[in-house]
Amino acid sequence: MSALVTAISLAQDPPAKETLAPIDYGAIMPMLIILGAACLGVLFEALLPRHQRWSAQVALTLLALVGAGVTMAFYIADAPADGTLTLAGAIAVDRPALFLWGTLLALALGAVLMIADRTVEPGGAFVAQAAIRPGTVQDREQRLGAHPDRRDGARFQMQTEVFPLTLFALGGMMVFCSANDLLTMFIALEVLSLPLYLMCGLARRRRLLSQEAAVKYFLLGAFASAFFLYGLALLYGYAGSVRLADIANAAAGSDRSDTLLFGGMALLIVGLLFKGSVGPFHAWTPDVYQGAPTPLTGFMAACTKVAAFGGILRVLSVGLESTQWEWRGIMWGVAIVSMIIGAVLGLTQTDIKRMIAYSSIAHAGFLLIGAIVLTPDGLSSTLFYLLAYGFTTVATFGVISLVRDADGEATHLSQWAGLAKRSPLVAGVFTFLLLALAGIPLTSGFIGKFVVFSAALSDGMAPLVVIALIASAVAAFFYLRVIVLMYFSEPAPDGPTVTVPGAFTTASITLGVVVTLLLGIVPAFALDWADAGTFALR
Amino acid sequence: MGSYLPLFLLFVLAAAFALFSALLGPLVGPRRYNRAKLEAYECGIEPSPQPIVGGGRVPVAYYLTAMLFILFDIEMVFLYPFAVSADALGFFGLVEIVLFISTLGFAYAYVWRRGGLDWN
Amino acid sequence: MTRAELLADDPLWLILIKVVVVLLIGPLLTVFMIVWERKAIGRLQQRPGPNRVGPGGYFQSIADAIKLPFKEQIIPATADRKVYFLAPMIAVTPALLAFSVMPIGPQVSIFGEQTVLQLVDLPVGVLVVLACASVGVYGIVLAGWSSGSPYPLLGGLRSAAQVISYEIAMGLSIVGVVLYAQSLSTGDIVEAQQNGWFFYLLPFSFVIYLISMVGETNRAPFDLPEAESELVGGFHTEYSSMKFALFFLAEYTNMIVVSAFATTLFLGGWMAPWPISLIGDNYFNSGWWPILWFFGKMFVLLFCFIWLRATLPRFRYDQFMKIGWKVLVPLNLVWIVLIAGLRAIRGESDVTTGQILTYGGIVILVIIGLSFAFDRGRVIEDDDQVPITGGGYPVPPLDLEIPKAPKRKAVRGRNRRRPAAVGAGTDAEKESNDGDL
Repeated sequence: MSALVTAISLAQDPPAKETLAPIDYGAIMPMLIILGAACLGVLFEALLPRHQRWSAQVALTLLALVGAGVTMAFYIADAPADGTLTLAGAIAVDRPALFLWGTLLALALGAVLMIADRTVEPGGAFVAQAAIRPGTVQDREQRLGAHPDRRDGARFQMQTEVFPLTLFALGGMMVFCSANDLLTMFIALEVLSLPLYLMCGLARRRRLLSQEAAVKYFLLGAFASAFFLYGLALLYGYAGSVRLADIANAAAGSDRSDTLLFGGMALLIVGLLFKGSVGPFHAWTPDVYQGAPTPLTGFMAACTKVAAFGGILRVLSVGLESTQWEWRGIMWGVAIVSMIIGAVLGLTQTDIKRMIAYSSIAHAGFLLIGAIVLTPDGLSSTLFYLLAYGFTTVATFGVISLVRDADGEATHLSQWAGLAKRSPLVAGVFTFLLLALAGIPLTSGFIGKFVVFSAALSDGMAPLVVIALIASAVAAFFYLRVIVLMYFSEPAPDGPTVTVPGAFTTASITLGVVVTLLLGIVPAFALDWADAGTFALR
Repeated sequence: MGSYLPLFLLFVLAAAFALFSALLGPLVGPRRYNRAKLEAYECGIEPSPQPIVGGGRVPVAYYLTAMLFILFDIEMVFLYPFAVSADALGFFGLVEIVLFISTLGFAYAYVWRRGGLDWN
Repeated sequence: MTRAELLADDPLWLILIKVVVVLLIGPLLTVFMIVWERKAIGRLQQRPGPNRVGPGGYFQSIADAIKLPFKEQIIPATADRKVYFLAPMIAVTPALLAFSVMPIGPQVSIFGEQTVLQLVDLPVGVLVVLACASVGVYGIVLAGWSSGSPYPLLGGLRSAAQVISYEIAMGLSIVGVVLYAQSLSTGDIVEAQQNGWFFYLLPFSFVIYLISMVGETNRAPFDLPEAESELVGGFHTEYSSMKFALFFLAEYTNMIVVSAFATTLFLGGWMAPWPISLIGDNYFNSGWWPILWFFGKMFVLLFCFIWLRATLPRFRYDQFMKIGWKVLVPLNLVWIVLIAGLRAIRGESDVTTGQILTYGGIVILVIIGLSFAFDRGRVIEDDDQVPITGGGYPVPPLDLEIPKAPKRKAVRGRNRRRPAAVGAGTDAEKESNDGDL
């Protein structure tokens, strides 16, 4: 209320005509397209009859992704080299932001294809009516198809709201990567998180697990948002501004009490690390990855990580660069903890989705090493790592969704035994993806780790790199264990079958695998893009 | 802050008045309690859904209304500063507010069509 | 000197006098309103109404007011006692507070001190009234909750849902006034009406305000929270003695406040009505005269409340919510955009009023057409949905017909061929489930 009163009393004596800074619509067009399409998607949901919704939504979503990509490509051609600030300085469209946008759009394309697929799971991985209580008659009917006389497409419905929700989340991620002040960043954080919380609870199979995941994610996410907001408030108290550049200036040359600065910094970074599922703030990750519908897990694992690390990179290198000697030691610790948690706990997992979740925690540790190297090399290597990791992850979850038995996905590792004998192709693709996650040469994972570690080495972080190498070796063990299981075990008699995916999932997995391979063999072009420029420091 | 002083005085007096009235009843009124008087008002069979105090639940439609209220109340709150400075903002302000209202309009259309505004 | 400066100049004794007067307006008018309402409704129903106590029965409510504290106060054993005690106070305090920003008159001299007839003229006066109305809802919903009894709980919930729904319509209708007055201060809003009262400049806002003010105060025909036939007494079923009186006071004070607010926003506040305002050199708009106009207009509106109660039957809850959410809110938003657009166009260039009216009319017609297209009932989308009750268990469809029984010997005097409509139970069910969606 009091904020409102201030706002209004400020508005009491307006100048004759407001003068407003022009908005660079060309720069923010990709963002506007995504968010506009999301709004349009909501309208589609409201106005279209149910049988038209799926096709309309898929068409709209894909069109929006491609349209945003194309406008961005046009913009990059004549974008200013050191970036541009627009919307009264709230949004910074610079080279790293554009690289992250491109990564997000491409990853979202893969994820949306998987979300839209209705062949692997009849009707799609998302439930038709989430409000129906799990285990009731209605729930069974909507899962198994209530009207056997109707054709498959009409028999099985899905909650088509997931498409606008995905677009909203994606729009939030794009804003998050390019937010130049903390308040915009917070809004974007909420916009990207809320749809994800919701979609986590929409799995068609294992509804209770899915709902539990949604609630856990929501509660812990709300805590993290509160941390972020509190940190924001303290930093505002310290610098008198929420602009990252102003905070950097205030920290560089002032004799103000550092308590606010360090308190705010710590809380802010905790909030960000939570989103990036960096250990020890990873507690939600395994449960949520396991419970959420697999296509969404792919989206979340890839895109959220990109967005979160985009935000971490920007906050660290624009806002907190001048205080790096204060936080660097702690971040070393966090990175080490994250790598060790991911690698060691990953060893003990028996569920493939949880295993990948711990792998993502380990990867978050590697990414954090890149993020705390505040050189241009560190920035570009982290960006490249995000790109590589994202595509591998999307494809990994695509493959996981294919191995099924009567109860849905067969995620227990014992069920994967001897998979190569049932389906050599799927086993081969999965092996390749696991090798990429482990960082074996000729895959993108190797190049990613290589550039990050070399950037860290050149910045004098040799001990950290040694620990990271050990952690990679430990982590490689549990990837190899799955490979061994697939190739050198006898398949169980009642084991899962491998579904032949439809065009969408095939396209998504192919995209992921091809990019993983390309980035492993000819990484130069992507490295050049990632190296094109640094953050706009204004 | 001085202009709020009379308001504060009025608040204190009004609250004192309310407190006095609320205390007056038990002070001067008779007290002849028995168990039947102290039971909650009922007619007919004891209802099975208990009131919240006793561990019952509230129909979900009220939560929906409450959430819609918050959305539209915030819209309203944003419209006031706009209205006060509409002349200064001119066409730009108009375009912005139309965009704002229509963005909310999408959600409104969705809620309407999905029956979120229906009571039965 | 402006109003705010005059008010800032008030010495403490004057402030205290004003505070006491403003505080007393609510209770005194409530006492009067109750007896007036009873007598007026009596006359409208061809009976005398109360006519025993005092001259013409006009002391009836004073007698009631004296009686109430001496009644026994009962707190149900299931009640949450602290909240139960606080709820009536929460309801009544903001209601009494809201009158503070009403401009009752222009500059006058009280014991030689120049001032205006208003307690405070805040730059956010309109928001104070709205805030008081919102806080009052807590009183109602907490009263319903803390009673520990189903009827008050349902009444309280209903009331809260109703008040917040209509608060949006009310708040949006005020946006038009703020737009025209370019200020949120009540004093400025009255002065902005010197060239024309807003009720005819903004007819649509005025109508919506009138409807929503009845909904906001839980009065007939929108008195659903106290629907006797369904909910006994609504949220105050378990209240007795003075605490019950406080709810009564809050309700009537709220009526008085929204009427005074309507007077301020739309009916020119303290300014004299048209033919009278021409007499003399603004003689009737200065000094103490405006008090007469202000309270005169307010009483006209208050009489409308009584009139409505005597005339109209109570709405059904779903109809009531439908009007609020599906009619008042969207039309209000369209109206706001329209008048904001008009002002922007007027401010920017020299467009004639005729052009504006023509194009505006076309736009309005299109929007009305669209709004009709919207509410074509529920569409096909739900036809394969299994109907569920609140418990998640399937129910038979409403149009279910039981197949004909095989022929047996005709039973005399009973028509067996009548389809046993399962829906026969729905009316009774609806009654008992009302509000228990």
